[in-house]
Amino acid sequence: MDIIAGLIQTAFLAGGVLALAALGEVLAERVGVVNLGVEGLIALGAMSAVATVVSTGSAWLGLFVALFVGFCSGMIFATATVIIRANQILCGLALTYIGTGMAATIGKPFSGSPVPVTFEDLHIPLLSDLPFFGRAFFSHNILVYVIFLALPLALHYMMFYTRHGLNMRAVGENPAAADAAGISVMKMRFWYTSLGSALAAGAGAYLTLSFVPSWSEGVVAGRGWIAVALVIFAGFRPINAVLAGLLFGFVTALGFTGQARNWPIASSILSMLPYLGTMALMILPVITWQRMRRLMAAPEGITAPYYRDQR
Amino acid sequence: MNLIRLQRMPIATPRVAFAFRVASVLLALFTTAIALSISGRSPVALGAKVISATFGSSFGLEDLALLFSPLVYCGLSVAVALRIGAWNIGAEGQFNFGAFCATGVALFVQGPTWVILPLMALAGMVGGALWILIPTLARAYADVSELITTLLMNFVAILLVYWVATGPWLDPSGMALATTSRLPVSVPALWGIVHWGPLVGIFLAIALALFVTYTRWGYEVRIAGANPGAARYAGMPVKTQLIGIMLLSGAIAGLGGMMEVAGTVGRLQGGISNNYGYIGIMVAVLARAAPIGVLATAFFMAVLLNGGIVLQSQGLTTHTVLAVTGLILLYAAIGDEMAHYKILHPKVKDI
Repeated sequence: MDIIAGLIQTAFLAGGVLALAALGEVLAERVGVVNLGVEGLIALGAMSAVATVVSTGSAWLGLFVALFVGFCSGMIFATATVIIRANQILCGLALTYIGTGMAATIGKPFSGSPVPVTFEDLHIPLLSDLPFFGRAFFSHNILVYVIFLALPLALHYMMFYTRHGLNMRAVGENPAAADAAGISVMKMRFWYTSLGSALAAGAGAYLTLSFVPSWSEGVVAGRGWIAVALVIFAGFRPINAVLAGLLFGFVTALGFTGQARNWPIASSILSMLPYLGTMALMILPVITWQRMRRLMAAPEGITAPYYRDQR
Repeated sequence: MNLIRLQRMPIATPRVAFAFRVASVLLALFTTAIALSISGRSPVALGAKVISATFGSSFGLEDLALLFSPLVYCGLSVAVALRIGAWNIGAEGQFNFGAFCATGVALFVQGPTWVILPLMALAGMVGGALWILIPTLARAYADVSELITTLLMNFVAILLVYWVATGPWLDPSGMALATTSRLPVSVPALWGIVHWGPLVGIFLAIALALFVTYTRWGYEVRIAGANPGAARYAGMPVKTQLIGIMLLSGAIAGLGGMMEVAGTVGRLQGGISNNYGYIGIMVAVLARAAPIGVLATAFFMAVLLNGGIVLQSQGLTTHTVLAVTGLILLYAAIGDEMAHYKILHPKVKDI
């Protein structure tokens, strides 16, 4: 029992990075912009959070700086893809390269050293002391509750139960129709892409301030790409995205447990699990369950830039 | 009064597009120079250092040729796939797995060099093709985006190479930490330490250019890439072509891995791909997926990577080059779009 409680606890901790980054990507893709820069944004956020915490000693400030850096990078990306309408795939790859490269260059001085302040686990009276559930569900830091509870519910409500959410989805599905209905396609795309980038960088801050409390070059390790894949698997829905993140947190946690308990499998092989799992989740549902394709389809207008004069 | 107006054209003229390409590269280098001077380094001195270290000695030129080799293979790999409209972001993984398979042949098959080397090249190509097989089939039959699946395979291949280099195939002499023992055979040298890899890459580029331009299959591939619907309607086997081209793309990257392990490095070690696959995307995109253009852009990126080694001695990391690469890619993407616009001068007189 104790192992399972520990596994679930680690699953939440590890899955938080993927869940938050996937939430950001859901926002961007729902308005019709594929942001492949998540990997670079996570790196930038992770590095700037550590840099802030090292010099100020405040974890919250670190998180906010990461969000701000992500938002600014997102605005650059959105300027290129939404306003200038350059190729989204190329710009996304460019953002990944720039983010990864800049984070490694600027973060070199404090690479490998532990972060002085991290987000502490909250102790909730009564709940945290429950025998199994206390450890699995109620002994996390505040960000875990925000990522897995508050944010997805709020976003789900906003996207599916408000007029603004309807407008937002309309922009992603059919920008020409949305434009005709008086919704500003450019504004919607610009701000949600930037906001999504801020969340991705926030996932980086979560990575270095709560999950792996240190910064090093390879710390992101493809999590951004897994998050992009999870969004497709989650059918572009916030709650599904968070659950998919949790599932992958669980796969990662299995790998950790295997290493800690000296299972007779090399740690490199265990580290492959999340990537192979993502591959399987991207391919298997589509083959085995045809209806899934329609149900979980991507927004119609995705990756296509919108030209008002060429409707 | 309307003096100038911009109009977007459906296709950009090649000359304008080329001009924007060059401008984007220059602008990216300029941005880098500004960033360097903000961080307190002299960009002019660094640039001079990079140039003299690269072109000033035969060592520099030899290093350049060795860097050119993996970039040509990865660039061609991505370019070929782009021709049919597929994004092979997994050249990195195919490169690694090709190197892995070639190493397997070298370590466990005995025989004369002239048998083993072609066998290694074959193993590298088959390995590269195998590594892209699942993403290819998923794209062809289930419409799963190859962009992310090929990329995810990269991490698996890198971990696999790391695992064999530190575990089962670790150098038994105990001298090395994370590498196999030196391979018994190596690609013969052509000039100094430069082996056949770069030259074979150049021939491959020429062959691919001829194939794309002058053969029926190449023509059909171009059509299928430009307009899959029209190609299908004209009775071209689009799906078969997609599978064939993607496997070819993987095989080219795998061959690059074989050349790297059997020519440049001489042993399989973790991190052998060194981001070549990712920079290969850049090489292909800058060359607009033209095989001959890949030669030029691969050379340019080799100079940049070589410059990265110089930057390393100045307290920067090799990753700095990755950031510069990204900057060029961003500007190039923007330039590509801007090349579509034409300035119109309406000849209407104001009264």
